[in-house]
Amino acid sequence: MDVLVQLILNGIMLGSMYAIISVGLTLIFGIVRVVNFAHGEFLMVGMYAVYLLSLHLGLHPYVSAVPMVLMLFAVGALVQRFIIQPLLGADEHIQIFATVGLSTALINLALLVFGADLYSVQAPGVRQPLSIGGYTVLHAQVVMLASALVLVAGLHLFMQRTPLGRAIRATAQNRNAAQLMGVRVDRIYVIAFGLGAACVGLASALISPLFPVTPTIGTYFVLTAFVVVVLGGMRSMYGAFLGAMIIGIVDSLSGYYIAPDLKEVVYFAIFILILIFKPTGLFGFGRGTE
Amino acid sequence: MKVLIKAALAAGLALSAAPSFAQDAVRIGALYPFSGGLALLGDESFRGLELAIEERNAAGGLNGRKIEMVRGDAVDPNQAVGEARRLTSVDKVSVIFGTYSSSLSLAATQVAELAGVPYFELGAISDPITERGFKNVYRTNPTARIFANRMVDAVAEAVAPALGTDAKSLKVAIIHEDSLYGQTVAGYQQARAKEVGLNLVETLPYSAKSVDLTPVILRLKSAGADVVLQTSYQNDTVLFFRQMKEQGFKPKAVMGAGGGYSLRDTMQAVGPENMEGALNVDFTQYRTNPKAAPGIEEFVKKYEAKYGTAPRSGHSLANYMGAKVLLDAMAAAKDLTAPAIREAVMAVDVTEGTTATGWGAKFNEAGQNERATPFLMQWQGGELVTVFPADAAVAEIKTGIGAE
Repeated sequence: MDVLVQLILNGIMLGSMYAIISVGLTLIFGIVRVVNFAHGEFLMVGMYAVYLLSLHLGLHPYVSAVPMVLMLFAVGALVQRFIIQPLLGADEHIQIFATVGLSTALINLALLVFGADLYSVQAPGVRQPLSIGGYTVLHAQVVMLASALVLVAGLHLFMQRTPLGRAIRATAQNRNAAQLMGVRVDRIYVIAFGLGAACVGLASALISPLFPVTPTIGTYFVLTAFVVVVLGGMRSMYGAFLGAMIIGIVDSLSGYYIAPDLKEVVYFAIFILILIFKPTGLFGFGRGTE
Repeated sequence: MKVLIKAALAAGLALSAAPSFAQDAVRIGALYPFSGGLALLGDESFRGLELAIEERNAAGGLNGRKIEMVRGDAVDPNQAVGEARRLTSVDKVSVIFGTYSSSLSLAATQVAELAGVPYFELGAISDPITERGFKNVYRTNPTARIFANRMVDAVAEAVAPALGTDAKSLKVAIIHEDSLYGQTVAGYQQARAKEVGLNLVETLPYSAKSVDLTPVILRLKSAGADVVLQTSYQNDTVLFFRQMKEQGFKPKAVMGAGGGYSLRDTMQAVGPENMEGALNVDFTQYRTNPKAAPGIEEFVKKYEAKYGTAPRSGHSLANYMGAKVLLDAMAAAKDLTAPAIREAVMAVDVTEGTTATGWGAKFNEAGQNERATPFLMQWQGGELVTVFPADAAVAEIKTGIGAE
């Protein structure tokens, strides 16, 4: 029983990490309709930046969250403006190749600049275990969960209450109609891609104290993030959040009760079953979404 | 036109000059990854060979003949095959030394075997390299099976006595990353643990790309594991040590199979206070008693004089030792044909504790050195020191993980 509760707690904490990354990926996919294969590498770039800020300016990773969100927003916006936008009219595959190419280029650039060694960010106190009724969570994990909740709530308010949010939703629902209503679709795409990347900026600041950064660190997270996005219904932020929690808990439980090397098998099996029986994802809005 | 003539003349000169130059020199191939992702430790391995050959040349070469090295750059198995072909057919080397990486060695040795050129492996650990019935492949360094056996044996011979208990009363667990490296070593560990009758309570594979090893740690905790044997790369080693501390799991001993455990970066990422007491089995490192490894201090001095830095890992030392043993064998051979070299290598008989790595040398029919055993080391105060066997040790083995 004790172990079960600890595993579920751990799964929720893991889930909140996946949630922040996946919400960003969902924004990009749901609005710009581009599968961003470079998403994990954005995370890697963010984590190196957090490391450099901490090394040279002594910034605590959590303080670097602010510059990271801004920096990754800019990176995302630039990628959309100069790489994706020229390809928007092109075949879907071309866009995929563009993001895959970007991902490979970024990994190798990091190898060139930083080498294959790992770098670890110092963040005093953040890794301290917090004991709640005999169960262990880290301060960093609690911050992660709180941030994931605030992020989803914040994005919800932004999408529902602001004119820009409404324009983004309109563009996501029907690009042509939105354009006819006077929405500058190109600009919306740049903003949406930027927002999606900014989520990764937040994630990079929060993940840095937990994992050392290497050129391939993005690949550790991004495959799971894709599963989460599809599980959540491709375009639903809330779906992505809940999907991330489910994957986090399944990951944690199957790693213990089945076998650590089979946990991917378990959640990919769930993933395939969902694709067979509910192709729109657990929280998809039915066929009308496409 | 003039340029062309000049070039042709130069080429002609070079051609006519080449045979007279090579006449009395012995050509050997040096096949390592000099570029690409494996380049750092490939180059480090090569430096050991280079130092051994310079030493030999300074002492008059091979029976009065100078040794000349031809480099081959093997970035991946395909290129290893290409470069091995070039060395054997174009450069016509007498023997090839290599290779650091097992996948490169497995590919290159096939070419050399077909060409009938002896291949001296000084660093790759995959067992099948010397298990394919090849006549001309010899290896001086210990294999994955020897690593695994040393780890399991060390539990009984070093860890249990330090804890003051009987080895059979210890609950032993094996955890390993699930690619070829981890699978191979863990497979041999399981077999050996069964052989010596250890109480093996868990064997847990995991992906080296895991972002969370808590389930593994909770399994170990529920099983009440006293000793954990881990075969791992760098990231998963760091994650394991961090999460072990966070989950309050304190086994009596944790032992790694080289890989991530040997690297200073790992210790720094984990923190010296958390890595304190971690055991590790690997090629001989530099904090080893020179009485058991005579020449180790001189090697470091020579290395520093030539390259201007301290050795970056134990790979250069292992290659240096292997090259010296095999150059001696070549000097003893009646000529440099493959059968004569085989005869000479089979006659090699070096006792343990007389080389710079502390290994001895005695080759079996398959070409594997049976007197190469890795030492047991331990992280103490941010340094990786040899603790077992006693004559190679520079420090006492400590129990427990993490500073108190």
